[in-house]
Amino acid sequence: MASAEDEVTQVIYKFYDALEDLLRARGTGSMIEIWHHTDYVTTSHPFGSWARGWTEVKVNWEEGAAVFSAYQGHATRSDRIGGIHELKVVVMGDAAHGTGIYRSKLYMSDGVLDLCLNCTNILQRIDGIWKIVHHHADQAQPEWQAAIGRMVGAGHS
Amino acid sequence: MPGVPHLPINVGSAAGGFRVLPSPDGHLRIAAWGYWPPEVITAFGVNAPAAAQTLAPSSIFVFDTKELKPQGAEGQDALRALFRAVAPLPFAKGMIIRGNAMTCMQLARLLRECRADKRLEFTDTEAVGG
Repeated sequence: MASAEDEVTQVIYKFYDALEDLLRARGTGSMIEIWHHTDYVTTSHPFGSWARGWTEVKVNWEEGAAVFSAYQGHATRSDRIGGIHELKVVVMGDAAHGTGIYRSKLYMSDGVLDLCLNCTNILQRIDGIWKIVHHHADQAQPEWQAAIGRMVGAGHS
Repeated sequence: MPGVPHLPINVGSAAGGFRVLPSPDGHLRIAAWGYWPPEVITAFGVNAPAAAQTLAPSSIFVFDTKELKPQGAEGQDALRALFRAVAPLPFAKGMIIRGNAMTCMQLARLLRECRADKRLEFTDTEAVGG
């Protein structure tokens, strides 16, 4: 039987798999499934501001997918866009958190765009199932945000 | 109609809403904030495009989105209605005051979809308008 720490670790890895799906235009279904859909969930992304409550959180992930629908750099690549590293998980009853470093690499038309951010995920065990209730990523450096903005404005990467 | 003054319009609450502020000299300022509930979406979809019709060739249009959050599908449709109304109008200058970076991405995407991206430029400060 898996320990609570193992269960939480697997859910956090699934979160980053869901993020990968979202960034690679494979939909938001797995991201939506992994969250607890309630008013107290919160998320913040490399672009900045907070989304509070499931309605806003869901919209933020959907907009993230819309933003990255313009990204074509991985269309013919098999390597991941990004993933979580140095993940440390702590479980306290029905609550848990994981801290780690998200690293990603985007292949833009004018070069490679690297990202390296500290991230925190908080989970709650609801009816025996761990769900994400909070996600926080540091804001990306302005150059990264500007490059993504140019991609959105142009409609291609 | 161009040049026809509209009264200021204020819809919503602190959590989400918008304000339309026409000025006597023909300029137009729309400020939007928060996450819009359905009644705000409906009102914006009607009032903002209608207010845009008052823009004259000498007008400056300011869309203040400093406090606006990314919107869901229906809210995006209301924003598209404004951008589609604005795209063919012959006003002098259009500015979007940016805040939330994710909102900025959403607006940039919608502007491009509505072919209004050449009419409105993003700015950090309100150099003109009121």
